[in-house]
Amino acid sequence: MLRYFLTKLATLVVLLFLVSLTVFTVLFVLPGDPAQIILGIHATPESLARLRADLGLDRPFFAQYADWVGNLVQGRSALSIHYKMPVFELVASRLAVTGPLALLAMVFAVVFALPLGIYAARHQNRPQDLAVMTFTQLGLATPEFWLGILLVLFFSVELNWFAAGGFPGWQADAWGSLKALLLPAFALGIIRAAILARLTRSSMLDVLREDYIRTARAKGLRERTVIYVHALRNALIPVLTILGLQLGQLLAGAIIIENVFFLPGLGRLVFTAIGMRDLPVVRDVVLLMAAAVVFVNFLVDIAYAAVDPRIELH
Amino acid sequence: MKRLLAIAWVFVFAIPFSAPAAETPKKGGGLIVCVGDEPPGLDPTASASAAIDRVVYSNLFEGLVKVDRNGRLVPGLALGWEISPDAKTYTFRLRQGVRFHNGEPFNAQVAKWNLERGAAPDTKNAHPEFFRQIEKIETPDDSTLRLTLKDVNALFLFQMAEGDAVLLPMKGYEDTAARPIGTGPFRFVEWRRGDSVVLERNPNYWNPTLPYLDRLTFRFIKDPSAQVAALKAGDVDVLGWILAPEIARGIARDNRFKILAGSSTSEVIMSTNNKAKPFDNKLVRQAMAHAIDRKTVNELVMLGYGTPIGSHWPPITPYYVDLTKKFPYDPKKAKELLAQAGYPNGFSARIQLPAIYPYAQKAGEVIADMLGRVGIKLKIEIVEWGFWLDRIFKQKDFELSMIGHAEAWDIGIYANPNYYFQYDSAEFRDAYQKALRATSEAEKAKWFARCQEIVAEDAVNGFLFVSPSLSAMKAEVMNWWKDYPTIALDATEVWWNK
Repeated sequence: MLRYFLTKLATLVVLLFLVSLTVFTVLFVLPGDPAQIILGIHATPESLARLRADLGLDRPFFAQYADWVGNLVQGRSALSIHYKMPVFELVASRLAVTGPLALLAMVFAVVFALPLGIYAARHQNRPQDLAVMTFTQLGLATPEFWLGILLVLFFSVELNWFAAGGFPGWQADAWGSLKALLLPAFALGIIRAAILARLTRSSMLDVLREDYIRTARAKGLRERTVIYVHALRNALIPVLTILGLQLGQLLAGAIIIENVFFLPGLGRLVFTAIGMRDLPVVRDVVLLMAAAVVFVNFLVDIAYAAVDPRIELH
Repeated sequence: MKRLLAIAWVFVFAIPFSAPAAETPKKGGGLIVCVGDEPPGLDPTASASAAIDRVVYSNLFEGLVKVDRNGRLVPGLALGWEISPDAKTYTFRLRQGVRFHNGEPFNAQVAKWNLERGAAPDTKNAHPEFFRQIEKIETPDDSTLRLTLKDVNALFLFQMAEGDAVLLPMKGYEDTAARPIGTGPFRFVEWRRGDSVVLERNPNYWNPTLPYLDRLTFRFIKDPSAQVAALKAGDVDVLGWILAPEIARGIARDNRFKILAGSSTSEVIMSTNNKAKPFDNKLVRQAMAHAIDRKTVNELVMLGYGTPIGSHWPPITPYYVDLTKKFPYDPKKAKELLAQAGYPNGFSARIQLPAIYPYAQKAGEVIADMLGRVGIKLKIEIVEWGFWLDRIFKQKDFELSMIGHAEAWDIGIYANPNYYFQYDSAEFRDAYQKALRATSEAEKAKWFARCQEIVAEDAVNGFLFVSPSLSAMKAEVMNWWKDYPTIALDATEVWWNK
């Protein structure tokens, strides 16, 4: 277990190093001058040069890279060019939106997907199965921003049950904040549920053909027990993998849905930051996202071991 | 003898006053204004970004003079001013008893410090030239500020009315980008990054009857359909600057809301690289001017809300000359000119459109079709904003593009041969200098008109239309600015009729 953990940690470090170098290089060669974007097109060349020097953009590639990594390692935060505040604080405040949003979306996804997938598997090739498959096909084909807009039009504009978007902040209004996440989380979750439901169904069907299921049925166990105790546990392994990948994806920023609901989340932060060439923010957030994906996969590996005792971590 | 310029008649306008509301304004209430772009910091003296001015100009910060809803110069922190006969010395009488939001007093010393700060060698101001033209700053007493310019500049007062020239307090200025302190009718409460900037009524404002609102919030929503949903769901009260006019039509049908369709100072032009072949040939540029049907462009791109232009000058700015008839839509003439220029069969070119502006893409498609009819085949490329600034604006590596030039009084860009469209005309530079150095209104009018004519005659860029200032709001919101003669969403006089 320890060896497994250390290997994972080493992988993480190497990966982050590669990601940091790539991100830095890409942003370095990307056309677009942060100073010009800040000062506007009528700024004098002199003002531009001064701002570039202030931002450290006139220094050589490796000096800038070393500064960034050095600061990160020492836990010092750079200042966001756009928002004039430390990037770490900024990211923390955005994670307080995107984190709960991603989790809530996964809850919606699992709550819909597992029962539907199991139900479809139990009624394979019957009308119930066909209905579920049609529904999931629809879900796969629906873009999430479109579903988001429909939800807003119905629940916010028509019924006035929810705000059309925005986020009041956890301290200011905890209930309002949770409410603000419901529609976007639903839009994200329901579409991920479609993928998960199909996966659950096929995985369940595979497992149901196994010998041990026949044995379980042969010894007269109730169907309920066979499905939920014996089959489900094994059927969940591939589902967990995808779930992990999706959670990583969601943490990496539900960029589009955050724009539809104008949520101040991590995805919108990185989206705006790229447009504004807020380089300190883009670098740190991309690195954080890479770390998040690796970390979530690590958690999934541990979860494997929990559902399948045959899997050992080394 | 000094000539006193009473402020009210500095300029005479063709535009009628917006009819004053019959009811007397009511105090109280909060207003939530939706804007698309979140400002990069809140310090207008450290960036020329329009997004900053839209939040803070005249709401939080004030300069010596301001531009009002009719485009006129009105007193800000200066009560009035006198201009010497040689038009080089400006004597401002300053308001007395004004305090900044942090309690610091405003006086002539503070004004002087601000002007010196803008001119300092290490200034962060995007327009240090506004301040460096001042040769001498005198403060005979606390309420008098006398500025002597190195040279006559007809635009000096307008420059002092820009966001770059608002006045900050001498002690509380350091953190302006994150915690701004001004003298305006509203004071800063909070900037919730990614969401909103909240301002509240300044109880000590120098005009005790203003502002009417208790609270003013700017909310940042980029996506046009999300903006409409927010308005319809009641999350915001005003959409301050609608980029997509088709949205306005939909809102207008709902009688809970009203649309104000005015004019702005943003000239949308097909920017043309005057050094790139074949656009270095004036005949080619004039042929394109004849090939473009401005009225149809305005109909298709702006649903008719825009105002066609024939030169680089907004109709709501003083000294405007209507040059839209200079090159009337005439495809036959266009083909003749092309043949004269040596392109009887037309040619192919590339037009690069910035992705962040929907109007630029739509206008690009319409123009590509119109030019196609006279044999100029355009290849459309959509580019990201950072790329546009770098390749097109800075490196001038382009043939045609499309962009709105938002600033008022910006025809001076044609006097700079290194500006991205690389127009180089001694005649224009001469006319522009004469306009700037003019000491009488008649001279100014004559030479600014000449500037517009030269640029139109040379067909430097494809002059299309001035963007409408489209705003949408709840029907009970009163006194919102209809036209936007300067870059501002000034809510000082806005009130709720409910």
